Amino acid sequence: MSNKLVRSIVYWLLLSPLVIVILFPFAVMFVTAVRPRDELFTFPPSWFFSEFRWDNFVDMWTKVNFGGALLNSLYVSVAATVLALVFSIPAAYALSRYRFRGKGLYRNFLLMTQMMSPIVLVLGLFRLMVAFGLVNNLNSLVITYAAFNMAFTIWMLQSYFNTIPRELEEAAWMDGATHLRSLIRIFLPLAVPAIAVTAIFIFINSWNEFVLALTMLRNNNDFTLPVQIFSQVAGRYQIEWHHVMAATVLATVPVAIVFSWLQRYLIRGMALGAVK
Amino acid sequence: MASVTITGVEKRFGAVQIIRGVDIDISDGEFVVLVGPSGCGKSTLLRMIAGLESISSGSISIGDRVINTVPPRDRDIAMVFQNYALYPHMSVYENIAFSQKLRNRPQGEIDRKVNEAADILNLRAFLARSPRQLSGGQRQRVAMGRALVRDAKLFLYDEPLSNLDAKLRVSMRTEIKALHQRLQTTSVYVTHDQIEAMTMADRIVVMNAGQVEQVGTPLELYDRPGNLFVADFIGSPSMNFIPGRIARENGAVLLVGQDGTRIAVPAETKASDGQAVVLGIRPEHLSLRDGTDGVAAVVEVVEPTGPNIQVFVQLAGTRVCSILAERHPFVPGQPIRLGASLTQMHLFDEKSGKRI
Repeated sequence: MSNKLVRSIVYWLLLSPLVIVILFPFAVMFVTAVRPRDELFTFPPSWFFSEFRWDNFVDMWTKVNFGGALLNSLYVSVAATVLALVFSIPAAYALSRYRFRGKGLYRNFLLMTQMMSPIVLVLGLFRLMVAFGLVNNLNSLVITYAAFNMAFTIWMLQSYFNTIPRELEEAAWMDGATHLRSLIRIFLPLAVPAIAVTAIFIFINSWNEFVLALTMLRNNNDFTLPVQIFSQVAGRYQIEWHHVMAATVLATVPVAIVFSWLQRYLIRGMALGAVK
Repeated sequence: MASVTITGVEKRFGAVQIIRGVDIDISDGEFVVLVGPSGCGKSTLLRMIAGLESISSGSISIGDRVINTVPPRDRDIAMVFQNYALYPHMSVYENIAFSQKLRNRPQGEIDRKVNEAADILNLRAFLARSPRQLSGGQRQRVAMGRALVRDAKLFLYDEPLSNLDAKLRVSMRTEIKALHQRLQTTSVYVTHDQIEAMTMADRIVVMNAGQVEQVGTPLELYDRPGNLFVADFIGSPSMNFIPGRIARENGAVLLVGQDGTRIAVPAETKASDGQAVVLGIRPEHLSLRDGTDGVAAVVEVVEPTGPNIQVFVQLAGTRVCSILAERHPFVPGQPIRLGASLTQMHLFDEKSGKRI
């Protein structure tokens, strides 16, 4: 065996406990989701079951109101991503390209906001949304998610924007382009990797967020997926674990799709941002 | 095509002054090279002409029009950047055609112009490629092509050859000069390489610390440098400088070196007796002398370059370089005698550095 192969095997063996930790919950989720209901609580617990009960997913869809919650989650995550990008891109561009008073202070301020846990702000945010009349409204989540992610996205975008040579825009101006034209035709196409990476981050953060959603939403029809799944577990006499797990499995699917679609940008974008 | 007039231009970044009152007149069709050490403000001045940097005071005009506040896109200037600044997400064709598309020119005309430029620059075969598939020299030519299709009044070059290897630099130098002779577009070219400046320019502007040291044709600057800085900067290897004091004896004017060596200098010099001066002699103007002629020197290092040998000697207490066409078999420590014609000597005031 070649040296390289031996080394690969050793590394894989060393990493395998980590892989188990990551995959174990998924395995439990999946076997519970496809099990017949009366085999849920066998003792001793077993990985095996008599048949694949795919009907669990169909039953769950209507019983849990999965479709509605899925649409709510999609709306909130996509809208928060778009909103955050709409504000972050110009902010990051300004930080990257212009000199202005208080620039260092502003950057530090952005960094400091990341040191606060959203949980400590929940009460204040709730009262703010009451004042705006946005409680029980999905848009309250869109605004807060966008706001919470913006500091990070501005920071991330700025470090990437710094790697795009200023001369490219200058060349476009000399060629006769306006500032706006050079932004659209030259700058933004080159910034796509960074924009994709930040979009992934905002989308996943928004998709998985639980505490704020639980606080702001009161109406069953407005629940996002994490809250909806939680509501199947909390305060019930009988918990339909096979439905809960089927819902959880399905809830991870959109994130997996977004991630695999944009991951080539993720690697490129993170590497580029890191080096400079 | 147009003339360019730069009058009393200054540039400040906060308290730091980068350009200190620069006046340059560039006539229509002229190829002017701004040359100087890094940090002398030459690139900043070029960017001010382009409109990429604001002007703190003074004015820049193209033709009769003052362009101080005109945005870059309306100045009708084409620019070639040091790193080429090719749009990486566009093909070579799209890069060259970009300016024409912005002006909504008809497709047929764009095709014709891009092909014309590609023919001039030998880029026909590369039009469909993306910039990262090109070599340094090809990228450089695409950057030139982008400027070429513009039919601009003025071409600006910001150290366009400094990223190329030595051989390519020499051939691109010739290509750019040939292109200028063909198009006769007024051009301003920035470089820190004095050989590039000498070979390409109609006129050279030597800059130092944000000021113009001297303006003139390449040979004017070489033959009659106005001060020590220009004398030192233009020419490679650079001019030899021998400091000393002026003394007049029996009608002859002598430079008395720091070690007492006496060197005859032009009798018509305006330098006064006892004045501290610096004598400048170009290495190729020093020649070997026999007997009691010339000045004594001791060989330190001999460097053959092929066409010549460069001999470094101790002369009048300083190290001096001499370029000799004959292949003398000198050895270190060997005493020789060197001399120069009086007409090829330059005298500078030691304090002000100005030519006497």
